[in-house]
Amino acid sequence: MKNPRLSCFYNRLSLTRLMSSLLLLCLLLTACSTSSAQQTNNSTPTAISSTGGVQKLTFPQTPPSLRTPAFGASEQIAPTVKVLASIDPSLIIQFPLFPASIKKLFPKATALVTVIQGNPEISVFDTVVVDVQNMPANVKYTVFFTELSAKPFGHAEYVGDLFTRGDGSGESIFHLITLVAFAADNRQPGTSADQSGPASGIQLEHAGIWFDGVTAARVVLNDSTIPGTPFDGGCCPLHGGPQAMTDGQALPVI
Amino acid sequence: MRLLQKRTPGQTVLDEKGERRQAGMLFFALQGLFTLLLVFVGATGSASAAPLRTGHVQTQTTRALTNPPDAHLRQLIQAGKLAPTVQVLPSLAPTLIEQFPLVPSGIKQAFPSATAQVTIVRGNRDNAVSDTITIDVQHMPPNITFTIFLIEIANKPFGNVEYVADLTTRGDGGGETIFQCIALVAFSMDARNPGTSQDDREGATSGVNLEHMGMWFASLQDAQRVLNNDTLTGTIFDGGNPPLHAGPQAMTDGQTAPVF
Repeated sequence: MKNPRLSCFYNRLSLTRLMSSLLLLCLLLTACSTSSAQQTNNSTPTAISSTGGVQKLTFPQTPPSLRTPAFGASEQIAPTVKVLASIDPSLIIQFPLFPASIKKLFPKATALVTVIQGNPEISVFDTVVVDVQNMPANVKYTVFFTELSAKPFGHAEYVGDLFTRGDGSGESIFHLITLVAFAADNRQPGTSADQSGPASGIQLEHAGIWFDGVTAARVVLNDSTIPGTPFDGGCCPLHGGPQAMTDGQALPVI
Repeated sequence: MRLLQKRTPGQTVLDEKGERRQAGMLFFALQGLFTLLLVFVGATGSASAAPLRTGHVQTQTTRALTNPPDAHLRQLIQAGKLAPTVQVLPSLAPTLIEQFPLVPSGIKQAFPSATAQVTIVRGNRDNAVSDTITIDVQHMPPNITFTIFLIEIANKPFGNVEYVADLTTRGDGGGETIFQCIALVAFSMDARNPGTSQDDREGATSGVNLEHMGMWFASLQDAQRVLNNDTLTGTIFDGGNPPLHAGPQAMTDGQTAPVF
């Protein structure tokens, strides 16, 4: 039942269609590559002007100017605080932490805290970056904002944790209210001095790092008499260790 | 084939047209078949990977069912130690994901449809450096900044509080904010006399546990204008100068038992 004419016709037809499809595909690929090449080469964007003509868009070629924002206008700030020159309206401050209980065994331990506030008027939280070096290795620490930098520390807010790697370095990033952090019992909130002026509650204007566990602290510091502290959340009371790093300042750092 | 058997001159043209039509149809049919074949091959390729995926799904399901933090929280809800509004999501171990709503308090009369959903994600209790909190709101007063606090008590007098973030609504009254801080074991203390309190999942802990959440008007003036009430008084629920410049509570979890 095979018709040689018909099958020959089918073959020719298929071949023709295949060739046409290939040709179309080649044309399409060429068009695409030409279009992308044009886009790549055309480094200056264009736009349709209001009159209908095409005009070149111009963009700045120089960085925005830096300014050093006022920080702590209404109260003194610790001399260790560096207010960075930054682009308006951002506010970026940095300050170091120094070894406290670990000073004898880890005198070279360092920590740098960077606080970034995008726009003081509208930002919904601050960003806090804590970078540490030469700390006891493979240990978990807690980070607190406190009323006082040294004992008895006063009111405190638990903000996050930090793990050190095997080389004693580590970093943590938190997003929360920092520059206007305060503690209060709403039954008796009171007021206190903030960089912005008098404010509700008790301002938390210091930062410190504590051993997450007193057991780890005893091992690292080789002292089994170290007592527990409340500087960690969760079970059980006073299972936190001693302060490892402190801003060490009498004046506020945040 | 039948057309080719009895040909007349007039029929020949018709027959050839018919053959062309048939050939065209056959060509498209072949193209269709080819496409189907490609799809089939693709599906077979995926199917060959399927057993592995299924294996993963099965493993994950098993792990989700045996996620100890989830199971513990569900037990606490059943025992009434955690608020009944809390949903513990069936997440994979060791993560813990819980959700709960906030309901209108100070804005209830003017914005009864206002809703807020809080999602708290904790990666691993022993390794996570902070919790991630997402708050999504709808039908709130538009273009207003609210403050978010972790608090000791859901309703007045609220007790010890911790200011954690802000949320500014859009023109449609919707909005969201995401922040990272310690939430599930948040506590307040004066280290001079920290005391202890009972945490729903941890047991006895240092300080006063903050196990509720609320949203406040960041500005008393905004609250007075939005709620059309000049007699509203200032509250402490915003940071910075001056004291008592914040407005009333807008949303609350409204629960007696802890929500986290």
